Amino acid sequence: MIRLVDLNKRYRTSAGVRVVLDKVNITFPSGKSVGILGLNGAGKSTLIRIIGDAEPADSGKVYSDGRVSWPLGYTGGFQGSLTARENSRFVARIYGENTRYIEDFTYEFSELGDYFDVPLKNYSAGMRSRFAFSVSLACDFDYYLVDEALETGDARYREKFRKAFEERKARASVILVSHNEETVRRNCDMAAILQEGSLVLYDNIKEAMQNYKILQTRIV
Amino acid sequence: MSGDARGLPALEAQTVSLQDIANAITVQCRVLNALILRETKTRYGEHKLGFVWAFLQPIVMVVVIYFIFSAMRTLAVSEIHFSVFVITGFVPFAMLRDTMTQCQGAISQNTALLGFPQVTTYDLILARALLEVSVLLVVFGLMMMGAGLLGIDVRCENPLGVLAACVLLWILGLGLGLIFASLTPIIPSVRQVTSQVLGRPLFLTSGIFYTADSIPEGIREYMLYNPVLHMIEMTRSAYFYEFNSIYASWSYATYSAFGTLAFGLVVHRAMRKKAIVGL
Repeated sequence: MIRLVDLNKRYRTSAGVRVVLDKVNITFPSGKSVGILGLNGAGKSTLIRIIGDAEPADSGKVYSDGRVSWPLGYTGGFQGSLTARENSRFVARIYGENTRYIEDFTYEFSELGDYFDVPLKNYSAGMRSRFAFSVSLACDFDYYLVDEALETGDARYREKFRKAFEERKARASVILVSHNEETVRRNCDMAAILQEGSLVLYDNIKEAMQNYKILQTRIV
Repeated sequence: MSGDARGLPALEAQTVSLQDIANAITVQCRVLNALILRETKTRYGEHKLGFVWAFLQPIVMVVVIYFIFSAMRTLAVSEIHFSVFVITGFVPFAMLRDTMTQCQGAISQNTALLGFPQVTTYDLILARALLEVSVLLVVFGLMMMGAGLLGIDVRCENPLGVLAACVLLWILGLGLGLIFASLTPIIPSVRQVTSQVLGRPLFLTSGIFYTADSIPEGIREYMLYNPVLHMIEMTRSAYFYEFNSIYASWSYATYSAFGTLAFGLVVHRAMRKKAIVGL
C-alpha cells in the first residue's frame, strides 16, 4: 500500500497562495488501481509528483511498501538530447537493473524501430509516452504513477499497454491522475477526487463519477 | 525492497539499520555512475571529436597563455621552464573555475532528471564536479608528459601535495558552484556574474602567470586575501624543487575552501525547494 500522512503543499503565485494539499491522509491499497480525478489546476500533477518523491511536500510523509515508479507523463525524466537507447540505459543504471535487459525490452515493447537511436527531442508526444511507458514496464515496479498520458498513441498500442498492465495487476497497482472520467472508468478499480486541497477516496467508482459530475457542473 | 526508492521508506522501517545505510550507499553510487556517464555523453558525445576537444581546449589555453605572457616571464621563477610554470597555474585554476561554471548549470539544465526519486540536486551537482576534476587531472598528467617529451624538466617534488592543493581548489569551486546552482534558477542573470565578475578577475589575480613574490609590496597583502592565489602558490611549492612560497598559507586556503563549501551547502539547503519549483 501507499500511505500519505498529513501531507501539506501550497504554492505562492502572483494571484495569492494556492493550497494544493491540505493535511491529506489517505491509504491506497495494494493490487488496486486508483484513479485520481480533478479539474484542471487542482494540483493533480503536483500530487503525483509528491507521491513519486519527485517534488518535496511542505510537510507530511509518504510511505510505501514496494517499488514506486517515477511519475510517468509526456516528458518527465528524460533528456531530449539523448536517444531512447541512452535514456533507457540511464534508467536501468539508477534502478540497478541489467542495462542490456532494459534496453532490449524497451526496444521490443515500444516498437519505435529506427527511432530508438534518435534523440528524444525529435519525438512526437505519442512516441515519447510510448517510450516512457515501455521503460517503466521493463523496470517491473509495484506501483506505477501515471500522469494523464494513457490517452496518447493509437488505439492498437493503447490496448497493448492495457494488456501489459492487466497482466501485472496481481503484483502491481496503478495510481493515475486525470481530468478525464473515461480514462479513470476504463483503467481503475477505485477513484478519488482532488478538490481544493482535500483528497477523498471512493470505494465505489460510480459514486465518485457522480460527485465528479456535480463538481464539474458547479464550476461551470 | 524498502531502501530502493530513496525518500520512500517502508512503513515498518522506523529505525535505520546498517542494511539501510548500505542500501543508501549503493543507490548513491549507482546514481552518480549513471549521471556521470550521461553527462559525458551529453557534453562530449554529440560530435566525434567531442572528447578530444575536452582535452584539447585546456591545452590550447595553456599554449595561448604561454605566448601572451612569455614577455612577463620575469615574474615567474627563472630556474623553472615557463611552460611548466603556466601549466601548474592554469590547470589547477581550471579545477576551480570549470567546476564552478559546470555546477552552476547542473540543476537548471537537468530538471527533467529530478523526476526520478533517487536523483537529487546534490547528485546532479556532484556528478558534474567529479567529471570535471577527473578530466582536468588527466589533462594535467598529459600536459606534463607532453612537456617531458619535449625535453623540459617536469620532475615533481611532492605529488600528494599537488593533489591536495588541487582538491582544495576543487572544493572551493564546488562550494561556489553550489551557491550559484541554487541561485541561477531563481535569478538567471547570476550566470553573467560568475563568468564576468568572478571568472575573469580571478584569472588575472590568482597568480597563473606570476608568483606572489613578484607582486609589488603594497598590493601584495591585499591580493593575498584571494584564497586561489594561496592555492596556486601551494600547488607550485609542492610541484617544484626550486620553488617554495613564503606567502602561501595552507590553513587559510583550507579554511576558505571548506568554509565556502559549508556556506554553499547551507545556501543550497535553503534555496533547494525554490530552485526546483522556480523552473
